Amino acid sequence: MRIWAAVLSILAAATMVWAFYLIFFYAPTELTMGVVQRIFYVHVPSAWVAFLAFGVVALCSLGYLWLKDDRLDAIAISAAELGVVYTTAVLITGPIWGKLAWGAWWVWEPRLTLTLLLWLIYVAYFMIRNATENPERGKRFAAVLGVVGAVDIPLIHLSVQWFRSQHPQPVIMRPEGPTADPAIVETLFVSLLAFTLTFFALLLYRYGLERMRMRVDALRYRPTTSSVTSAEGAFR
Amino acid sequence: MRDFARQSALIAHKDLLIELRSRERLVSTLTFAVLVAIVFSFALDPTVRPVRIAGAMVWVTILFAGMLGLGRSFTLEQEQDALVGLLLTPIGRGALYFGKFLANLALLVIAAVVVYLVYALFFQLSLGGAAAGLALVTFLGCVGFMALGTLFSAVAASTRLGDTLLPIVLLPLLIPIVVFGAGATQLLLIGRPLAEVGGNIRMLAAFDLIFVALCTTVFGTVVEE
Repeated sequence: MRIWAAVLSILAAATMVWAFYLIFFYAPTELTMGVVQRIFYVHVPSAWVAFLAFGVVALCSLGYLWLKDDRLDAIAISAAELGVVYTTAVLITGPIWGKLAWGAWWVWEPRLTLTLLLWLIYVAYFMIRNATENPERGKRFAAVLGVVGAVDIPLIHLSVQWFRSQHPQPVIMRPEGPTADPAIVETLFVSLLAFTLTFFALLLYRYGLERMRMRVDALRYRPTTSSVTSAEGAFR
Repeated sequence: MRDFARQSALIAHKDLLIELRSRERLVSTLTFAVLVAIVFSFALDPTVRPVRIAGAMVWVTILFAGMLGLGRSFTLEQEQDALVGLLLTPIGRGALYFGKFLANLALLVIAAVVVYLVYALFFQLSLGGAAAGLALVTFLGCVGFMALGTLFSAVAASTRLGDTLLPIVLLPLLIPIVVFGAGATQLLLIGRPLAEVGGNIRMLAAFDLIFVALCTTVFGTVVEE
């Protein structure tokens, strides 16, 4: 597995370098928005990976509740941690772009609102996990939130869209802009690939770490058996 | 199916009986709701017409007051390990959840009625014309709220953070209830016909069905040791 992680990270690093070259030297500067539009190549892939991570959390949580397999829980928590990181990246890059393009740091745009709520659900996921005395229950509680959250996300999405339609539409540019220059599309796809590969490489490393932590915990919480064996050794 | 209904009715009866004897949840919830209304009336700019924002105020009050009451739902069962006793009875996990949910819903509906009356009194709202619509929207909103609320109050009660955790987990998940519930309430309060909020009512009903079914299914994994 470590080999896979190494291979993936080399691939991810190479693609990321390629993506950055395209972002800064190849992609044309967008006419109306100017240089700030380039943040789009970080923002959109981060959002994609954040939602991908949430999907992984949801599937593994469901699997964990069903099969009670610790490996699934380890994948779920690894994906959830990465999800927080990437959602934070979305929520930082979004307003930077928004300030220049929309003239406001924050607008209650459906996708933006959904991402913020997603971030809050992730935060609750970790709070639940860390607030239980019994780690087994913490895993189950977090998995329940993972499943309920995944079912709720489409409903939240519908409701925030509904909420917008009840209000006058502000005069905003759509984040994609009217442009569809092939160079822009190409850069975006390379960037998406780079972010996705990075996500899976990090997920593998984090999963390995979580498994190692579980093994250490299993060894540490076995004091009675180990003391018995050492006592036996002393008698021998 | 018959067993399920009978068992959940028993659990709901038990919870409501405890409440009838102590009245602690209802008294605290209702007092809190009145206090929120008073706080709103002082916090509001007097030139704002309350009817324009009444939907928002009503739903904020219902959510916060409901959250306060929910905290007691499972902390009550933690005392002297009453929950373990309940789990040892031949009552199914789903029926246990559903019974708790029914009791919580009954208490929240009472609180919601009082919230409307208090706001009608304090802010001169006329409820008469839209009473049926308001009752329907509020009831559907309360069902969804308590479906998720009952599940996560069981979760929160067995964590170190307890009731502090409840709103943090629950509020992001309840955004659809707020959007559809408060939106419909607002339209009805300013005298729009019921037909105009048909979409909101359908969405609330869908939310309720999904989460009552889902939470009844996953509740077992929450209470098991």
